[in-house]
Amino acid sequence: MIKRAFGSQQAGLLMVIVLLGVLLAITAGNHVDQRTGQVVNNFYNLHTLLQTATDASFFAIMAVGATVVIISGGIDLSVGSTYALAGVATAMVLRSAAPDGGLAIVGLAIVVSLGVGLVCGVLNGLMVVGLGVHPFIITLGTMWIVRGIAFVASRAESILVPSGLTAVAKASLGLSESVYPVPLLVMLAVTAIGSVYLTRTVMGRHVFAIGGNPEASRFSGLNLSRITIGVFVISGLTAGLAALLGAAFYGSASCGDATGYELYVIASAVVGGASLSGGKGSAVSAMLGALLIVLIRQSIRTMRFDQNYEWIIIGCATILAVVLDQASGRAALRRLSASATRR
Amino acid sequence: MTRVALRYASAIVFAVSMGLVAACGGGQSSSSQPAAARGMKIAVIAKSSTNPVFLSARTGAEAAAKEITAKTNVPIEIVWMTPPTEDGQVQAQRIAQAVNEGASAILISCSDAGKVNGAINDAVARGVDVMTFDSDAPESKRFAFYGVDDIKTGEAVMDELAKQMGEKGAVAILAGNQNAPNLRKRVDGVKQAAAKYPKMKIVDTFYHIETPQDAAAEVLRVQGAYPEVQGWAMIGGWPLFTQTLLTDLDPKRVKIVAVDGLPAELPYVEKGLAPVLLAQPTYLWGYVSVQKIYDKVHDKKDVPAVIPMELVRVTKDNLGTWARQLKEWGFTDVPDAYTKMP
Repeated sequence: MIKRAFGSQQAGLLMVIVLLGVLLAITAGNHVDQRTGQVVNNFYNLHTLLQTATDASFFAIMAVGATVVIISGGIDLSVGSTYALAGVATAMVLRSAAPDGGLAIVGLAIVVSLGVGLVCGVLNGLMVVGLGVHPFIITLGTMWIVRGIAFVASRAESILVPSGLTAVAKASLGLSESVYPVPLLVMLAVTAIGSVYLTRTVMGRHVFAIGGNPEASRFSGLNLSRITIGVFVISGLTAGLAALLGAAFYGSASCGDATGYELYVIASAVVGGASLSGGKGSAVSAMLGALLIVLIRQSIRTMRFDQNYEWIIIGCATILAVVLDQASGRAALRRLSASATRR
Repeated sequence: MTRVALRYASAIVFAVSMGLVAACGGGQSSSSQPAAARGMKIAVIAKSSTNPVFLSARTGAEAAAKEITAKTNVPIEIVWMTPPTEDGQVQAQRIAQAVNEGASAILISCSDAGKVNGAINDAVARGVDVMTFDSDAPESKRFAFYGVDDIKTGEAVMDELAKQMGEKGAVAILAGNQNAPNLRKRVDGVKQAAAKYPKMKIVDTFYHIETPQDAAAEVLRVQGAYPEVQGWAMIGGWPLFTQTLLTDLDPKRVKIVAVDGLPAELPYVEKGLAPVLLAQPTYLWGYVSVQKIYDKVHDKKDVPAVIPMELVRVTKDNLGTWARQLKEWGFTDVPDAYTKMP
């Protein structure tokens, strides 16, 4: 069992993250805290660890949804735009409705942001199924359409959200001042739900089935259209949820939010081991992939590398992660066939 | 597979929790040494590291840090934390990171004030002073802002353009990123000033990605769609960082007045396509701001909440003087032909 545990993909990713974390803690250096006068490690302190998790949470939540789409053999390039529209719509509705009380604000924000995500997901799914066009093209189109709607609706203004919503996203939950664990908790919850959905439910197994072999799935009687629409709905919902969290945490939403994030989200899923040809991936790995990418970004600054190399380093890390994953897959296959031959 | 996945999900939750618990107590050790004795670390977070105006601000900040260190023996370190592209959310993250890594102060030009207000207030609450330059976050707890008055800048652009066009003709406004509050104010200034000239008409305001190529392409697209446009009120100098418009626009028919006056823009003044540039001394964004931060944080002096920056009017008459000034500020791409001008 120990051998299996150490050989699993999540264990490998976790090990890389822990090693990188240890390296950062050793090399980051220390500083003197302005208020307490204590010497604090630049990386290994509660604020930095939580901040890293917070930065990753927006990608990770979307990456869980994007991974479901990727497992089904599709791709969703519109997650960043859905994030922008959901954030803008939530901020605009909250501004015009001006609900009283924290619960009303949070309730309305959840309804609007998830509603926008749901609508975007349904539209993507319907167009992929109904028009019979590859999801890459459909979601490339909706990526621009949805961001355009956000632009027109918001008139390119940055719209502030009520402070009651920010207070929820930045609740310290009994920890010390300026420590905000809510995004981390939401990320863990979404990952857990995604993991249970993919591995413990019939619907989740259907997603793997159509991604692994769509023809066989069709002949097995699976409703491919329904499942395809379903995976885009999940992706839209996670983008809507990430938008809600982002707008609430940062206190505003604008049509330019999450520009280019779709690539980070897809990279997170792929670094987490999801196969772009479908049939392979996991919610936990997607979250770890997002954490790893954010940690790499963090390390560039913490280790004082020239920040102009950020994109080069992330690009190389993404390719390296996928190559290593494929190599480990081939090695596992060789071990399996060698063991079968011995029997 | 299912059990393994769930087991690892639990393991990760456990590992993250343990890490946080350990970090609460494990990452700190006590010290009686005061922060000031170790010098100052100033994090500089401009809008984007691909925009040359911010690179000159960085040069200015580093020069000021060097001068203060030499004069006072207090080591000042400038930490450049500018994102590669404009993103208010990433700026908010970098503010938090700067605080976590022990910055003594933060200097920021805000891409989206709404996004960074909370992070600035958190930094101030944790004892780190924040100053803004170029683009302000007036509703935050920053202690000072250094930059031009954006409304007045917009008005000055339109007034100069009106002079160049004989107070008549069609004008287009080139406006950069829609989300930057300082640019929006400049657009408002252009429109307010345009109301003074009844024979001038603004055809529209055009936004674009703030890269030189995107901006130049936008100008050419608009010029094709609105051939009647004879004047460009550019509230930033983006397209003039390319040489495209020098060949594609006729200086006898079209006039440009633009904010900024970097080396790449100087040929436009010489050829008469942009007879006037209203240059922001972008080097001073860094230079003056670092001095003000030192005054406030180290010397505990009072610093005014708004420190106005004056624009420099660059024309053919002072092209040589301005070129030499740019070279003195560390710009390496100033053509010799201009520095030799009287």
